[in-house]
Amino acid sequence: MTTRTLKPWLFLMPALVIYLTVIFVPSIYTFFLSFFRWNGVTPDKEFVGLGNYTDLIMNDTVFARALRNNLLWTIGSLTLIMGFGLILALMLNKKLKGRIVFRGIFYFPYVLSGIIVATGWTWIYNPTQGFVNKALELLGLESWKHAWLAEPKTALYAVFVAALWQGIGQPMVLFLAGLQTIPQDPYEAAYIDGAKPHQSFWYITLPLLRETFVIVIATTLIASMKVYDIIYGMTGGGPAESTQVLSSWMYNQTFKFANIGTGSAISFFLVMISMIVIIPYVYYTTKKSHV
Amino acid sequence: MEELRVHPGIQALRYTVLILLAAIFLIPVLFIAFTALKSKSDLLTSPFYALPQKFQWGNFAEAWNQGKMSMYMSNTAFICLVKVPLGIMIEALAAFALTRLNFKWSNSMFAFFLVGMMIPIQATLVPLNIFLNKTHLVNTYPGIFLVYVGFGIPFGILILRGFFRTIPKEIDESALIDGCGDMGKFYRIVLPLAMPAIATLVIFDFMATWNEFLLAQIFITKDSMRTITTGLLSFKGEHATDYTLMNAGVLISIIPTLVVYLLFQKYFVSGLAGSVKG
Repeated sequence: MTTRTLKPWLFLMPALVIYLTVIFVPSIYTFFLSFFRWNGVTPDKEFVGLGNYTDLIMNDTVFARALRNNLLWTIGSLTLIMGFGLILALMLNKKLKGRIVFRGIFYFPYVLSGIIVATGWTWIYNPTQGFVNKALELLGLESWKHAWLAEPKTALYAVFVAALWQGIGQPMVLFLAGLQTIPQDPYEAAYIDGAKPHQSFWYITLPLLRETFVIVIATTLIASMKVYDIIYGMTGGGPAESTQVLSSWMYNQTFKFANIGTGSAISFFLVMISMIVIIPYVYYTTKKSHV
Repeated sequence: MEELRVHPGIQALRYTVLILLAAIFLIPVLFIAFTALKSKSDLLTSPFYALPQKFQWGNFAEAWNQGKMSMYMSNTAFICLVKVPLGIMIEALAAFALTRLNFKWSNSMFAFFLVGMMIPIQATLVPLNIFLNKTHLVNTYPGIFLVYVGFGIPFGILILRGFFRTIPKEIDESALIDGCGDMGKFYRIVLPLAMPAIATLVIFDFMATWNEFLLAQIFITKDSMRTITTGLLSFKGEHATDYTLMNAGVLISIIPTLVVYLLFQKYFVSGLAGSVKG
C-alpha cells in the first residue's frame, strides 16, 4: 500500500525538485524581495512595503516608457504580425507550386535566435553602409535616411521591423494548420448559394478559425510582454532609454544599477500581466478539452 | 480547402505577390552573406548590391578561429546534447507518474507545474543568482544544466502528459500480465509509443536551448563557456567596426539552425500545430 502511494512521487521527484529549486521557490523569494530596498551586496535589506511599486508607477519615467513600449509592441504584433501571418497563410493554402519552399522561407527567420536576428539587422540599419540607407540613396531618397537605431524617434520602430521579419512565420504556420482542418463542404454549399469569395471568408473561414485565433492571440500577447533578446541585441534599451521594455528595464535595474527591490517589483508586474493572459487561456483550453 | 475555380490571372497575381514577398524576406540574409564574403576594401568601394569581387572565404575561417565562433558553437552544442535528453527524461518520468500510476494528486500536481509557465524567467533571476553563488555553481556545467532543465519542465510536462494520455490503458494491463513492472512499462511501452511526441519535443527543446539568451547572459559569464548567443554579442563588441568579419560570424551562427531546420522542417510545422492543439 505505501509503496503504491509512494511510487508516483518517486517518478515525479526529479522534475519536482528541479522545478521547485529553479522556478517556484525563487519566484516567491523575488516577490518577497520586491518589498525591500537592497543592493544585493549588503547583509541587511530595508523594508519599504509597497514603496518599490509606487515608486515605479509615480516616479520612474523610464518604467512608464517601458510599459508604453510593451503596449505598442503588443498592438503592432496583434495587427501587423498576426495580420500578415493570416494573409500569407491564406495565400499559401491553395494549390500552388513551391508551396513548401515559400512556407519555408517565411517561417525560417522564426527559428533563429533573437540575438542573431538583432546582430544581422544592426548591420542592415548601419547609418553609412547598411542596406536600408544604401537602398534609399540608390532610389534618390537621401532625405529619408536616418541613423535608424540611434535616433529615439525611429529606434523602436526599426527594431519592430526586424521582429516583424522574424515573427510572421509563426502565426502563418498556425493559421495554415487551422485552415487545413476546415472541410470543403461549407464552401461548396456557400458557392451554390451564390456567396462571393469575401462572404465565404467572412462567414465561413474566420468563424472556423476561432480556435486558432485564440492560440495565436495568446502566444502573441505573451511574446510581446516578454520581448527582450531582439531589443537588447539591437539597442540595449537606448538611445536615451527610448526602446526600454519591461524585461530590459528589469535587467538594467537589477544587474546594472543593483536596485534589486525595484527590479523584483518590475518582474512582478511581468508575472501579473502574464497571469491576466494565461489564466483565461488555460481555462478556455482545458474547458474545451474536457468536453 | 481547395478552390472551386481559379482564374489564371489570379493565380499569376498570387505567384507575383508571393515571389516578391519571398524576395523581401531573403534580402536581409543575402545582404549579410554578401558583406561576409567581401574584402574590407571591396565593401567600401563596390555598390552594396554587387557580388563580392573575389569571395573571401577567409573571413569565415577568421571568425571561426580568432573570433572564437568555433568555441561558442561547441559549447552550445555540448549544452544541447546534455540538456535536451536529460530534460526530456525527467519530464517523461513526471508525465508518466501523472498519467499512468493512478496518482491521487495527478491533476493538482499538473496544475502546479503549469503555474511555472506563467512565471517569466526574470522573476527568478536574482534568487537563482544568489543560490548558484552560494552553492558555487555559477559558471559550472551542473549549474547551467540545472537552470536550463528547470525552465523546460513545465512545457515538457504539458506536451508529454498530453501525449501519454492518448496511449490506451489496456496496454498497461497486458504489460502487467506479462510481468512488467512500472519501470518496464515506462521504458518498454510508454516511451517507444510516445516517440512522435518526443521527437517533436527534442527539436523544439534543441532550438530553444540553442537560442537561449537571458539565462546564458546571467549565469555564464566566463568567456570560455559562452554559448552562441552571448558569444555572438561579445564577438560583435570586439569587432564592432569590422563589418565583414562580424557578418561572417552572423552567417556562421545561422548555418547550424538552417541545417537542423531543413532536415526536420516537417517536425517544426506539424509539431507546432500539434503542441498547440494538444
